[in-house]
Amino acid sequence: MSDGGQRERGTAYWFVGPLVLFLLALQLYPLLQEVWLSFTSTGLLTPRQQPFVGLRNYTDLVEAPELRETLVVTAVYTASCVAASVGIGLGVALLLDSPFRGRGWARALVTVPWAAPPVAVALIFSWIYNAQYGIFNRGLRLLGLPQGTENWLDSYQLALPAVLITTIWQIFPFASVVLLVALQGVPAELREAATIDGAGRVATFRAVVWPTIRPSVALLALFATIWSLRRFDLIWLLTQGGPIGATNTLVIELYRRAFVYRELGPAAAIGVVGLVLALVATVVYFRAQRRMEAA
Amino acid sequence: MTVGSRWPGRVRIVGVLVVLGVAIFPLYWMVVTSLTSSAGLFAPVPRLWPDLSELGNYPETFAIRPVGRWLLNSALVATGTTVLSIGLALLPAYALSRFRFRGRGVLGFSLFATQMLPEAMLVVPLYAVFAEARLLNTLGGLILANTAFTVPVVTWLLKGAIDAVPIEIEEAASIDGASRLGIVRHVVAPLIGPTLAAAAVIAFFHGWNEYVFAQTLVSDERLRTASVGLAGFIGELSTPVHSVMAVGVMYTLPAVVFYLFVQRYMVSDMTAGGVKG
Repeated sequence: MSDGGQRERGTAYWFVGPLVLFLLALQLYPLLQEVWLSFTSTGLLTPRQQPFVGLRNYTDLVEAPELRETLVVTAVYTASCVAASVGIGLGVALLLDSPFRGRGWARALVTVPWAAPPVAVALIFSWIYNAQYGIFNRGLRLLGLPQGTENWLDSYQLALPAVLITTIWQIFPFASVVLLVALQGVPAELREAATIDGAGRVATFRAVVWPTIRPSVALLALFATIWSLRRFDLIWLLTQGGPIGATNTLVIELYRRAFVYRELGPAAAIGVVGLVLALVATVVYFRAQRRMEAA
Repeated sequence: MTVGSRWPGRVRIVGVLVVLGVAIFPLYWMVVTSLTSSAGLFAPVPRLWPDLSELGNYPETFAIRPVGRWLLNSALVATGTTVLSIGLALLPAYALSRFRFRGRGVLGFSLFATQMLPEAMLVVPLYAVFAEARLLNTLGGLILANTAFTVPVVTWLLKGAIDAVPIEIEEAASIDGASRLGIVRHVVAPLIGPTLAAAAVIAFFHGWNEYVFAQTLVSDERLRTASVGLAGFIGELSTPVHSVMAVGVMYTLPAVVFYLFVQRYMVSDMTAGGVKG
C-alpha cells in the first residue's frame, strides 16, 4: 500500500498545485508587499520607488492623536456589530424556528438584505436618511421629534449609529440563518424533558438550548468581528469616515491614506495594525474554544 | 415541539411581520422611489406605493449614463470570477477531502486566514503588483483579484460536500479503471451538483457586488462596473433621484430575485460548510 500512498500524495500535490500558486501570487505575495510597504515611504504614483524608512510610519501613527480615535470608532463599530449579530440573530432565529403557516416564505424574505449589493444598500440608505425628503426624517417629523431636520450621516453624534443601523440591517440575516441551523441541533427530547420538569422558558433556554448553540454563537462572533474589521464599501459610501472622523474605522483610514493622500507607506502600517487585531480575535476565539472543549 | 412554540401565537405573528417589514422596506422603498414623479419625490406627504405611470424612468436612465455598459461589465467580471473560482477550487477541494498529504493542514488554515485580509488593505499592494504586471485597467485583473477572495470560500464549501460523498461510490468507479481525474469529473462533480451551484452563485454575486477593487484598479470609463457607476451617484445632486434609484433597482434586482430562487440550497450549504466545517 505504501506505493499507492506515494502515488496518492503525488496526485494530491498535482491537484492542489494551481490553487497554491494562485494564492501565493494573489494573497501571500501582496501580504508580504503590504508588510514591506509599511516600512517605506512609497507614493501611490511612484509605486516602484520604495524608500526604506524603518519604523517611522509606525511611530508617526502612535504619536498622531487620530489613531486613538480611529481605534475607538473601530472598537465601537465592531462590538456593536457582534452584539447585534448575536442578539438580533438569536431573536429572529427563535421567532422563525417553530412551524407556522408561511414559515418558508418568511425565512426566505427575512434573508433578502443579505443578498442586496452593499453599494445599493449604501445608496438607498443615504436616500432614506436624506435631511429633508428622506422617509426616516419624515417619519420622525410626523411623530414631532426634534431629530427630524438633519441628515444623521452629517451629524457627529448620529453618523455612527446611522452607519451601524445600515450595517446591521445587512448582516442580521446571516446571523439568523446560522443560529436557525444551530437550533435544529437541540434535541427535542431534552427540551421536552425540561418542560415536564416544569422548567420555565428562560431556564429551558439556559439549560438545554444555550449549551447546544454556544459553539455556533462563538463562531458567529468571530466572523462578525473579522468582517467588521474588514468592512469598507458601506462605510466609505455612506460617510467616507466622517463627519470629523466620527465613523473613521481603520480600513477607512487606510484607504484614505493610500488613495486620497497617496501615501502607501502609512496606509500599509495601518493595515498591519488591523491585521494584528484580527489575528488577536482569532487566537482569543480558538483559546476560548479549547477551554470550552476541555471543560 | 421546538424552541419557540410556546411563544403566544399573536405575539409571534406580530414579531415575524415586524422583522419582515424591516428586512424588506429599504428595498421596497428603492422600487417606490424609482417609480415616483419628480414632483412626488418632494411632495409634503410621501407616496408609499409605486406609480406605474412612471415606468419611463427606467429607459430614461440609459440616456443619462452608459448603464447597459456598466451592467455588462459587472456580468463579465462576475462570470469570470465564477468560472475561475470553480476551476481552481474543485481539484484542491477533492484533495483536501480524500488525500492525506504534507501541508494539508497549512493549506486548510491558509484558506481560513484569507478571510482576515480586508480587500481595502490588500488593494494597496495589489495596486503596486498590478501596475508592474500591466493588469491595471483590465477586467481580467478584476477577475483575478475577486477570485483571490472567493476561491478559499468555494474550496471550503466543495470540500464539505465531497466529505459527504460515500467513498464506496468512488471505489466502484476506480475498479472499473477510471483515473482520479475521471472520478472527480464523472462521479464526484455530478453528486455535489447542488453545492457546485451554490458555490457558483456565491462567487458570481461576490463579483457582481464587489466595489473596492473595481473602484481602485480600473479608471477607464468603458470598463466601469455597475457597482462603481452606482456609487458615483451617491452624494451627487444633478441626477434625478428616481433615475438613480432605477439604476439601483436594475443592479439589485438580479441579485435578489436569483437569490430567492436558490436560497433553499444556498442557506443549507452555507451553514453546513461554514458551521460544521
